[in-house]
Order: sequence, then C-alpha cells, then structure tokens
Amino acid sequence: MKVTVKNWHAIAHWRWDLGANEPENDDIDGEGDVCGICRVPFEGCCPSCKMPGDDCPLIWGECTHVFHMHCLLKWINTAASKHQCPMDRRPWVTAERTVAKSKPTQEPPLANAPPLP
Amino acid sequence: MASISSRRLSKELKELNTECPAGIKLVEASNFDKWILGIEVLGDSLYKGESFLLKFTFDPGYPISAPAVQFVVDSEHEAPLHPHVYSNGHICASILGDAWSPVLSVSAVCITLQSMLASCKKKERPEGNDRYVRFAPENPKKTKFLYDDDTV
Repeated sequence: MKVTVKNWHAIAHWRWDLGANEPENDDIDGEGDVCGICRVPFEGCCPSCKMPGDDCPLIWGECTHVFHMHCLLKWINTAASKHQCPMDRRPWVTAERTVAKSKPTQEPPLANAPPLP
Repeated sequence: MASISSRRLSKELKELNTECPAGIKLVEASNFDKWILGIEVLGDSLYKGESFLLKFTFDPGYPISAPAVQFVVDSEHEAPLHPHVYSNGHICASILGDAWSPVLSVSAVCITLQSMLASCKKKERPEGNDRYVRFAPENPKKTKFLYDDDTV
C-alpha cells in the first residue's frame, strides 16, 4: 500500500524541568504542579501575566520550593514575608539554576522543546 | 474583577464546592470580598454540638496579604468561648497575623481554627477581653496581637 501524506499537523508540548528532586510527583489532582501562591499550574502564568513560558518564569529556592517568579517576588517584597519561603518559612535564598545543566529525563526529547510562543 | 484575589478565590471556591473539609461548610460566597463559612468541631471536644460562623474579608492583594478573619457575632451567633477568641469575634492566631503565608487558603485557615478549638482545655475568654472589645478596631487585622502562647 502506498501512502501519501497530504498534510500533517504537529503538536508540541512543553513543561518546566522541575529537576531531579521532583519524583513521580504527588500529582493527585491530575492538575500537574501548581504554584502554591496563585494555584495556577507552573506551565500557566501568574495572575499578572498574559503569556506563559519565558515571560513568566519560575524561581527556585535553596529550600527546593518552586513558585512563579512574579508571585514569589510579590510576596518577598512585602514586609510581612520577613524574606521567608512561603512553604517552610526558611530564609528565602534563590537557587542558582541553569537550564543547560538539567539532565535529560526519561521523557522523550520534547521535554527540551522550547516554550511555545 | 481580574485582580489576583478573584482568580485565586475562584479556584478556592471551586474546590470548596466540590469538597469541603469535614466540619466546614461554605455558607455564603457571592463575591470575592467577603465569605461566610460555618465550622464545627467534630469528635470529642469542649465544643461538641456547637457550630460557629467565620467571616473572611479579602482585599485585592489576597493571598499576598492575609484575609481578615473573625467569628460572626450577631443576634443568632456567638464567638466560641476560647482563650484566644474575644467576645466580639476577633481571633488571636498567628497565622492570621504575622505568620500568614500566601500558600495558606480559606480552608487551611478553617482547619487551623477547628484544631485550635478542638485542643482547647478550658472554655474562657482571653485576659482583658472587656477592655479589648471596648477599644478594638473594627478590622481585626488592625490589632497588633502578641502571640505569647503556643500551647493552644
């Protein structure tokens, strides 16, 4: 049988690489990981943004907790935060993270796909 | 309408409508400024058979800024008799003040207050209740509480 592809439709999917210490995940609600502050999935954007992805990045603390950067900064910039992580109240120290270093996971290559525009 | 608080609260509302923690019920939430929740302490406690109403008032900065939370006191409702609850409904609990965190939520606050009641050993008003109630600001967030008792 000869098949001719007349047209095709590609769909890409991206996710933030949350790193190795994010095991099979307590993804009980099936919602994926959400930012603890705004409760919007990490792959969505914080309430102040319109476009997810690089425009609304995540921020990691040394304590391993992750938030939308904009959400965390809103909190950290208040006096009430006492500059503590909202999850564990430890002093907030932003962790160094470079995307290049993140080791590839078992996921197919699309894990490394760039964020959609 | 598109404030941070309304987006976050609409998510919380959806959750509370599908599954409210035991002993907690949503009584009124017709807007994103003020909600009323009912709480009762399940199991054995000094408050067996009693139920209370909690009033949450949100400003547009919620959850970065803490909600104002107090027990409803009117002709039909009283504040629980508890060493951290004033007779005007104001509550002295650190999570409503300087230990607030934006990862907390309406249901987390209700559960904390439920357990505050559940662990109560003696039903009494806080020291200086009458004086406090006489001079208290309307908004409990304006009160500077001293959190000196970690046992209750």
